[in-house]
Amino acid sequence: MTTSAISTAALTRSFGAHQALADLTLDVPQGEVFGLLGHNGAGKTTTVNLLTTLLEPTAGDAMINGHSVKTDAAGVRQSIGYLPENVQFYDNLTLLENLRFFARLSGLRRPDARIRDVLTFLDFTGHDNQRVGTFSKGMRQRVGIAQAVLHAPAVLFLDEPTSGLDPEGVRTLRKTIVRLNHEFGMTIFMNTHLLSEVTKTCTSIGILNHGRLVHHDSMSNTLAAFPADESLEDIYFQLDSAAA
Amino acid sequence: MNSTWIVAEKELLDLRRDRLFAILIGFLAVATLISVAVASADFRNQLDAYNLYVANLANSGSTVTAAAPQLFPLKLLRGGIEYLEILGALFAIVLGYGTIAKEKHRGTLHLFLSRPVGRFAFAGGKMLGLSIVWLGVVAALTAVSLIAVVTIGHAPIQGIDVARLLIAGGFAWLYLVFWTALAVGLTALSTRLSTGLIVALVIWLAFVLIIPQIGDTMDPDNQVPGGLFATLQIQKADELAVLAQFSAFDGIRNGLEVSSVTKHFERLTFAFLGIKDQYNQQPLSLVWAAMLPYAITLTVATLAAVVFAALATTRRTLQRKQS
Repeated sequence: MTTSAISTAALTRSFGAHQALADLTLDVPQGEVFGLLGHNGAGKTTTVNLLTTLLEPTAGDAMINGHSVKTDAAGVRQSIGYLPENVQFYDNLTLLENLRFFARLSGLRRPDARIRDVLTFLDFTGHDNQRVGTFSKGMRQRVGIAQAVLHAPAVLFLDEPTSGLDPEGVRTLRKTIVRLNHEFGMTIFMNTHLLSEVTKTCTSIGILNHGRLVHHDSMSNTLAAFPADESLEDIYFQLDSAAA
Repeated sequence: MNSTWIVAEKELLDLRRDRLFAILIGFLAVATLISVAVASADFRNQLDAYNLYVANLANSGSTVTAAAPQLFPLKLLRGGIEYLEILGALFAIVLGYGTIAKEKHRGTLHLFLSRPVGRFAFAGGKMLGLSIVWLGVVAALTAVSLIAVVTIGHAPIQGIDVARLLIAGGFAWLYLVFWTALAVGLTALSTRLSTGLIVALVIWLAFVLIIPQIGDTMDPDNQVPGGLFATLQIQKADELAVLAQFSAFDGIRNGLEVSSVTKHFERLTFAFLGIKDQYNQQPLSLVWAAMLPYAITLTVATLAAVVFAALATTRRTLQRKQS
């Protein structure tokens, strides 16, 4: 039996009169790479913010690795790694100093050995004492992944991880996501609007439309439900327009 | 390791390498040096004028003598204190704003809030880090002041002068922490970053520039360089008798002045450094007794600003303002 890494029940978030997320009920089993798709403003980032305890739900609840975002937010934070969109880090600090800071905040007392392991895993060595302010977008994204996995979280949240990356950066990140999932069994929840990225990395997908989940299934089932000559892009637009 | 200290340590490291901050503090140090140089040149001019006056008297065969101008070393720091009052407060606002604005703008605040740390870790760490930074800056400026007085002002420094300077340094630290904490709180509470800075600058304008200036302008003794009563050669007892006729007016003027934290800082430092003649060469116990209400008010105002900053940067408040 597979247990859920992420489980939401009627999760809802409103900002004044605007309902950004409505009654999201979703299960992501452990070890999945889940891709949440949707157009801009569909509620993807709101969902990630709710699941990472950055926002409090207006109604409903979510369990992350067995911890409720409403009643055990501290437990959730211990179980997750998080990479927001376009994060920039502390430019005046070196790579090592940045990672030490986040590692210590996550409870690692002597983090240097773990930092070296993670940087080696990410094939990101030789920059330890370089200031992050001098890094390219792609390098910063690797710092982002590194800080998110330092404490070996059970669930990793990535918000638009390929935003602003060049094709080489996208490919490297994609490989990293797949390796984190395969080698460490990490559950990965990824927000994106890049369909090509989802096809190559995700095992299951969900589609949000105006704050409502209009589709949730495994990648293979999703593709099988439509004619073989249809791409994920075609399927996405069919599901999205049907919901609208 | 305590997460508050982890944040403070990061803040110290970050600011130590911040070029803008280094330039601002360097500017304050240079301004202090220049103010001591100007004050000491002014004293030498007074001395030259005195010597010329005495020589002229002697040449004219007069036996009348006049008191020589006295060099009180710490009086040379008046300009430096005034820079700290105005520019120090401004730099403190820039520092407080920058420390929160950068976290919000870079997205690192989100990373921090997704970590398993206590609700006051961010607030406590930031304020602890910034307070230590100001302690270092004030210590450095105190050292610069001492060196400037001795080397540029050629004034002999005694143990009691160092003690007075250290006490003034303590008040400078409270004053700078006050402005930084205020800016931290206002920036954290603003959904739009610029709003926090603008509000802090409006407060700075009102309480650092406008209110003290109104108070100074309303003071009859400030209407003539060197003092109205001194120029009219009115004795102290008569001056007090005249002022007693205007007690209501003076109460309003004083009330306006003490509504500004800057004026509290000025009165405290001017008293302890002997810049204000009334307290020059007076025993410290007497200065303390007279200045205690101002010292208490400045301390309470700083504590209130720190509490405000802490409440504005709790996890819950930051989350609400981020959403």
